[in-house]
Amino acid sequence: MIGIIGILVLLVVMMFLQMPVGFSMAMVGFCGLWYVTGLDSALSMIGTETWANFSSYGLTVIPLFMLMGTICFYSGVNKGVYDTAYKWFGRTRGGIAMATVMACAGFAAICGSNNATAATMSTVALPEMKKYGYDKALSAGAIACGSTLGVVIPPSVVLIVYGIQTGQSIGKLFWGSTLPGLLMALLFILTIYVLCARHPQWGPAGPRVKITEKLKALPGMSEVIILFGLVMGGLYTGAYTPTEAGAAGAFFALLIAITIRRKLSWKGFVGAILDALKVTSMVIVIVWGAVIFGRFLTISRLPFEIVELVSNLRISPPLVMTAILVIYAIAGMVMDALGFLLISIPIFFPLATQLGYDPIWFGCILTVVTTMGAVTPPVGICAYVVRGVAVDIPLSEVFKGVIWFIPAYCVTMAVMIFFPEIALYLPSLVR
Amino acid sequence: MISALDAIGSRLSQWFSWIGGIALLGMTALACANMLMRPMGAPIAGAYELIGFLGALVVAFSLGHSQLNRAHISVDILTTRYSEKTRRLIDAVNSFLCMIFFLLVTWRTAHYATTIWRRGETSETLRMIYYPFVYAVSLCCLLLAVLLLVNLLKALFPKAGQKA
Repeated sequence: MIGIIGILVLLVVMMFLQMPVGFSMAMVGFCGLWYVTGLDSALSMIGTETWANFSSYGLTVIPLFMLMGTICFYSGVNKGVYDTAYKWFGRTRGGIAMATVMACAGFAAICGSNNATAATMSTVALPEMKKYGYDKALSAGAIACGSTLGVVIPPSVVLIVYGIQTGQSIGKLFWGSTLPGLLMALLFILTIYVLCARHPQWGPAGPRVKITEKLKALPGMSEVIILFGLVMGGLYTGAYTPTEAGAAGAFFALLIAITIRRKLSWKGFVGAILDALKVTSMVIVIVWGAVIFGRFLTISRLPFEIVELVSNLRISPPLVMTAILVIYAIAGMVMDALGFLLISIPIFFPLATQLGYDPIWFGCILTVVTTMGAVTPPVGICAYVVRGVAVDIPLSEVFKGVIWFIPAYCVTMAVMIFFPEIALYLPSLVR
Repeated sequence: MISALDAIGSRLSQWFSWIGGIALLGMTALACANMLMRPMGAPIAGAYELIGFLGALVVAFSLGHSQLNRAHISVDILTTRYSEKTRRLIDAVNSFLCMIFFLLVTWRTAHYATTIWRRGETSETLRMIYYPFVYAVSLCCLLLAVLLLVNLLKALFPKAGQKA
């Protein structure tokens, strides 16, 4: 009972007081522990838990991957990726929107955050689509949804946090999410194709590009391939830890920025570091809050009682899984997906594993459903980011564009449910 | 008074974020070096714990910078509908509660640092003292509490806040 009260209080504090998610989880968790275990124990817990979380070697992977993404952003790697995709596919109907999704997928392969991908792609791709008379809703929807590939295609901050919270291998999670991420990108492209086939005026063909220019644009993609190969290759062979993979990624991103691209100014370098610090602090504070709140939930025995209750109901596991996904989809509409993921993992993770679902698969499907939460109204962070950049596109148009892509998320999840191998085959090869 | 406090908080956050940035670069260099040295049979002793300590500095010293940039995610689905006055009141309550909580975190982290200092506790591999890092985390939480106090004062006295 106390666990349920704790969750209700948490929701009230977050919704009505607009207290940051990490702060409110820590605070409510602390109060809950105070109630259940006494003040002394709760007080000593926050001291040790703060230090343990902040100094955790496992969590150091977050700033390093963030740094890799921000250095790439400030050195214009994203523009190179977009340029390649644009020159190769822009000529076809809806091609610029498709190229945008491909560029999002490419940038997602070196950046673990949705918002960074959304901000980046909005500034690069929107003016181009506007120039060729693309439908506003389609343009905005393609960018907003394309940017959600940021956390599905590794590296991914959601998978890192899930891995740390549940003790799963981050390398395996990264590989598990690769194929679903690519499938999702493909389905987005298919959606654009179908929409433009039915409404040709929504996505007129772009300019003709000579083959020599196309070939010249190819190196724009090479940096992404190098960085992705370096990070994922090391994780695949077990040659280094996720933290070291992040560090190597950040180091090589810096090397590329300085020696090949030569576009990273001192100001850009400082900006990259400050941005990485900002996001790191935000994510780790949420993890810290979730750990404290999770302690309270565990002591309240709520997760175990829910597992027991659902087991006794004898509902078929696929139905329970569908219900879990629906809960995540609804929660993603009203709050930040990462926050809800961390609140709910202590409850749903034991339930899913008890029902016989693979923890790696569960992490991958949760990433898809939570990333959908980043574009669904009313609280769709990526849609807000796109709106922030596209001053002439109203938010309602952005959300209208997003709705067309929702089936792609649902199909990805359905494929993952019916063919779990899509998320399990590659991790099974990881050493 | 609010403007002075605000200026001090902002300046300190800026300095702290520099320390966080240096720690981040140090962490990157150390992790890369360890990765290169390991195959040669000479891994850097205590690299994992040093990276952990630097990680603590990265997170703690960027707390102020994140707070000033409003980077901490919150759910604003209801509060956008509040009137200006209600929003200010909610902001004040919110800042007050968070400030008290972070003062508690400051106190308890400092208490933990003092405990391991008195016990003479050292890290597992390098056998180095690490309580200074814990004190540093505590100090950063105090800075966050100060920034929350500035928020509280600005919410209570908006005109003074504007002058700042």
